[in-house]
Amino acid sequence: MIQSESIVSAYAPPFKLVAKYFIAAIVSFVLLNFLLLLNYSEIVGHHFNPKILSINHVATLGWITMIIFGAMFQLVPVVLETKLFSEKLAEIQFWIYLPGVIGLVYCFWVFDTGINMTFSAVLLNLAMFIFSFNIIITMKSVKKWNVTAWYLAAAIFYLIVTAIAGLLLAINLWTPYVKLDHLQYLNLHAHIAFIGWVSMVIMGVSFKLIPMFTLSHGFPLTNAKLAFWILNVGLLGISTIMHYKDTTFLYYIFTGLIVLGIIFFLLQIRIIFKNRIRKKYDIGIKFSVVAYLMLGLTTILGTFIAFVDYQNIINLTLIYGYMIIFGYISMLIVGQMYKIVPFLVWYHKYSSKVGLEPVPMLKDMFNEKFAQIEFYLMITAVFGSLYSLAFGSVIGVMISFSIMFISSVIFLFNMITIFRK
Amino acid sequence: MANKEEILEVLKGVIDPEIGINIVDLGLVYEVESNNEANVITMTLTTPGCPMHSSISAWVENVVGHLEPEKKVIINLVWEPKWTPDKMTDEARQELGHIG
Repeated sequence: MIQSESIVSAYAPPFKLVAKYFIAAIVSFVLLNFLLLLNYSEIVGHHFNPKILSINHVATLGWITMIIFGAMFQLVPVVLETKLFSEKLAEIQFWIYLPGVIGLVYCFWVFDTGINMTFSAVLLNLAMFIFSFNIIITMKSVKKWNVTAWYLAAAIFYLIVTAIAGLLLAINLWTPYVKLDHLQYLNLHAHIAFIGWVSMVIMGVSFKLIPMFTLSHGFPLTNAKLAFWILNVGLLGISTIMHYKDTTFLYYIFTGLIVLGIIFFLLQIRIIFKNRIRKKYDIGIKFSVVAYLMLGLTTILGTFIAFVDYQNIINLTLIYGYMIIFGYISMLIVGQMYKIVPFLVWYHKYSSKVGLEPVPMLKDMFNEKFAQIEFYLMITAVFGSLYSLAFGSVIGVMISFSIMFISSVIFLFNMITIFRK
Repeated sequence: MANKEEILEVLKGVIDPEIGINIVDLGLVYEVESNNEANVITMTLTTPGCPMHSSISAWVENVVGHLEPEKKVIINLVWEPKWTPDKMTDEARQELGHIG
């Protein structure tokens, strides 16, 4: 029998390694929603609150970054046609990263701002440096650099900046040394994390995955390239001027560039969708489309926050953060997970049987009806939460968080179904 | 010796798992030739650089190889003429959401 040899099996790391990151991330997502629901009454307040900071790190480190690590271990070798530098390092990284996340989340929860929080931040930094080293060495062997590779390289740079800024913030909470406003550094930490790290990955990977899933090709990548340079100038500019006084004018310029960069990214996505051959949207793509629209809405709100004095409007920062984490990033991750996880499991188990015996299709790997229900629940929960947070309705927040929790359990159920197939 | 129809029939078993349509109905198989030594499949993919590229070729080799194990399977991957949705069967076009 002729063995199936393929790009996926030739370059991708063992399925076990990627699955470990994905499982930890999915569990974090359910936990995140459970904690939100448990503390709904405390959420409606100032965003610099220990519980919110704790839950926020379950979202950013446990859910979002964990899934990006797993996805990058899988995608970087496949997309760039090279082997991951070290699978062993990726394994070690997981066991340093996981206690780091748990430690930091716990320290925020009980507001232990002493050495334990700093130690957790050191573990996280160590794991992120190992990750960056692993990916950078992997990328060094790439002969053909494409737009995706540029975005991923930039994302790694911002991951390191985010990690170091996070560590400095932790040390500052332990032994105050930062002369500037702590909240200002927090602002930088959060924005470099969401735009520099998470969004750069999302953007780079979107240019590769969305055309693949929608059968779209023959489109120019001009907007993707423009977005890359504009975003980087904006992000580096903001990171530099925040250390100086009287920089309001430059702040507006660089913020404007970041907004412009996101607009160019969304225009590129629109072009990819317009060129698609596969007209029907499956559930994974439906989630993704809503996520891109939410990025547009979030950018409008972000622009408003940056350019307008909004101090009198309560909860706006919280609403902004919620839109980024749930409306944009989680929506997109869930959508992409409905595409990537079934494929990985399917490939692992059924690839060698194609054409020789009946094999399931990717959409048969999970309960599509449940995924549809999850989709509508998630949208309802996002808009319900935004409305309730805006108008300070505690009962509305509770109902919306309950709906989001239910949707996350459905997601967990479907992911377990796929893994057990 | 397997004839063209038999080979096309086994090729219908090669389904793109992502879109759920087999490569024959997708219009990816351009030509099938069979001689005493080898079965030659001339085919394309929806786009050059498709990450499924090697997998699909391996599946084609697998199924045709099973049909006639004594013969070589030669896959001739071409990009001209370019694949377009027009090459799909009506059923496949409908499945992808094209009207008509």
